[in-house]
Amino acid sequence: MAPTTRVLDRPTGEVSYLRATLSGMTQTLKHLVNPHKVTVQYPHERESISPRWRGTHRMLTTEDGKAKCVACGLCPTVCPANCIKLVPGEDERGNRYPLVFEIDEFRCIFCGYCQEVCPEEAIHLGRHYENAEYSRASFVYDLERLTAQTHPVSQLWDPTDPKGE
Amino acid sequence: MTAPPAVRAAPKMVTLTIEGRQVTVPEGTNLIEAAKVAGVLVPHYCYHPGLPVAGVCRMCLVDVEKAPKLAPGCATAVAEGQVVHVHSEKAREARKGVLEMLLINHPLDCPICDQSGECELQDYTFQEGRDGSRYREPKRFNPVEDFGGDVLYVTNRCILCTRCVRFMDDVAHEPVLNVSERGDRATIGKFEGADLTHPWAANVVDLCPVGALLSKDFLNKARAWELDRAASVCPNCTQGCNSVLEVRDNVVVRMKPRSNEEVNHFYLCDAGRLDYRWLNRADRADQPLVHTGDGLERSDWEPAIARAAAVLAGKRAYVLASPGLSNEALFLLSQLVQRTGGAGAFRVERGPEAPLAGVPDLALRAERAANVMGAELLGFAKGDAPLSGLNADDVLVIADHDLSQLGAAALEAIDRHRAVIVIGTTLPAGLSHAAVVLPLANVAEEEGTLTNLRGRVQRYFQAKAAPGLARPAWFVLGDLLAATGATEQYWTPGEVFAALAKGHPHFAGMHYDTLGLKGAAPAGALAGAGA
Repeated sequence: MAPTTRVLDRPTGEVSYLRATLSGMTQTLKHLVNPHKVTVQYPHERESISPRWRGTHRMLTTEDGKAKCVACGLCPTVCPANCIKLVPGEDERGNRYPLVFEIDEFRCIFCGYCQEVCPEEAIHLGRHYENAEYSRASFVYDLERLTAQTHPVSQLWDPTDPKGE
Repeated sequence: MTAPPAVRAAPKMVTLTIEGRQVTVPEGTNLIEAAKVAGVLVPHYCYHPGLPVAGVCRMCLVDVEKAPKLAPGCATAVAEGQVVHVHSEKAREARKGVLEMLLINHPLDCPICDQSGECELQDYTFQEGRDGSRYREPKRFNPVEDFGGDVLYVTNRCILCTRCVRFMDDVAHEPVLNVSERGDRATIGKFEGADLTHPWAANVVDLCPVGALLSKDFLNKARAWELDRAASVCPNCTQGCNSVLEVRDNVVVRMKPRSNEEVNHFYLCDAGRLDYRWLNRADRADQPLVHTGDGLERSDWEPAIARAAAVLAGKRAYVLASPGLSNEALFLLSQLVQRTGGAGAFRVERGPEAPLAGVPDLALRAERAANVMGAELLGFAKGDAPLSGLNADDVLVIADHDLSQLGAAALEAIDRHRAVIVIGTTLPAGLSHAAVVLPLANVAEEEGTLTNLRGRVQRYFQAKAAPGLARPAWFVLGDLLAATGATEQYWTPGEVFAALAKGHPHFAGMHYDTLGLKGAAPAGALAGAGA
């Protein structure tokens, strides 16, 4: 028996692309006038980052421009990624200071333990994310580089409530 | 303090209970030592087993049942049936008070203090001190003082335990230090015009429980927790003081004494402890070299050993052996001498002797090499002209012997000598005509045993890695002997020692594994023979 064929009328009202297009365009037009914008016009505009942001390091200095570090050796000890190299020495006034202080930012996992353990508040993580370099070697930040950084430093805890109570 | 071993008249024993543990100790033992027997550490500063009791720090206060008040553990002798609580509420509270008091004028500069990490003030404060200070007034301040010798005095960190004063008075018998001023102005002072230049004075640095007395040599060099430590024996004279080599990044940074009641008690002389840099020297032989027509060429172990054996074949070996080599190496060298019908000799560098008055039979000895006794026992002749027995057709084997002290005539003789084999940690200058150079590990890079001047055989352990292809002396000499046709094979220094113990009466009955960390005296009545 030959199959019977039944031709249905196309439900023009439901499948018309016009309706969907219009609803889509409504959405677009709504965003055109909506003040809530997602796209940031980087680099002309920048998102503000959290005060607890943990980026590349910065060494703070005393008033006379010397690194605050006293080469106590706690940060290389606590560092879980083993990325800090420290050789202690003595300056002309007999004070302990780091002869070599290097952080390999490629190895660093940005845990912030070094900042937390530092008894002199010398080494800090930075609120900073633009880290491009032309060579791999320049990702090993030496003391000069660390003290020359100017970006704001990370705030790992609330100074009014340091124990998080 | 335990009684010296000489008076063994069976002391009366006393049984007491410390922290619930019953111990039996000789009468007259103090509570700190009795607690050690019970496995309990009584925190203390001024007490030291090698020094007279002072009782000034008040840290070792313990709770003795039925006693009206807390008793200082260092100055209280044990009594039968005593029940002692070290960690009772009362004792802990007292020690907390003592710690708070000691910290009143302490600068708390742990981040820049060299003692940090091995500081008893830090440890006990962390264990049972207060977590904050109640002291609001300004702290006392005094400048750092140079005490002379290797010692620096950081007045602010001092807790006035007077261990250093008592060491200089009662052990060194050169009373140079005192407690100056009174009350909170008190500091350790030097007597007018005196300096801390006694040859054993640097021991005050080890005795100091805090960071007040520091070694200038070690100042700001490394942190205590970064160091790898290996038990060793000081290689710088025949006394054989037990020592600890402390290594950071494969570099020896410090040598400290290790206690051994039979040899050095708790001490190490300044000359010995500061003479460790040669263990790190950079100009080491680190590759086997073989002489081709035009000079020494880099080679590998097998061809170099084969070449050395070929040079020795049918010839007499005349061995110039360093008196700093291990017993194992010297034993194998003596085997080489025996096999070839040769001879062995050495010269030992001498210096002034410096005894430590308060400890019997302890001195920086005149002969400045660790194993003079071992070399003599194994048949090497000691003399000022060790090359005098060398015949023209002998093979001269220079086994790590220092040539610089032999004099120009001897150096010229070596220069003229045709067949020379160098087995050593360095390649001495002017030996470019040597047939073979076999690089050795030095005393910090291998393990073995040394014999001190009283015949005591003591083990030392490996502290760092040898450079390049250098191998321990027993390994190289074992291979060389095998290449010359010997049937024995050695896989460990212990096997070499076993062969030595079997073949030599002095070492009879000793076993490498049971020498332990304190060594063993010879079974025979050799004591005193080297004096």
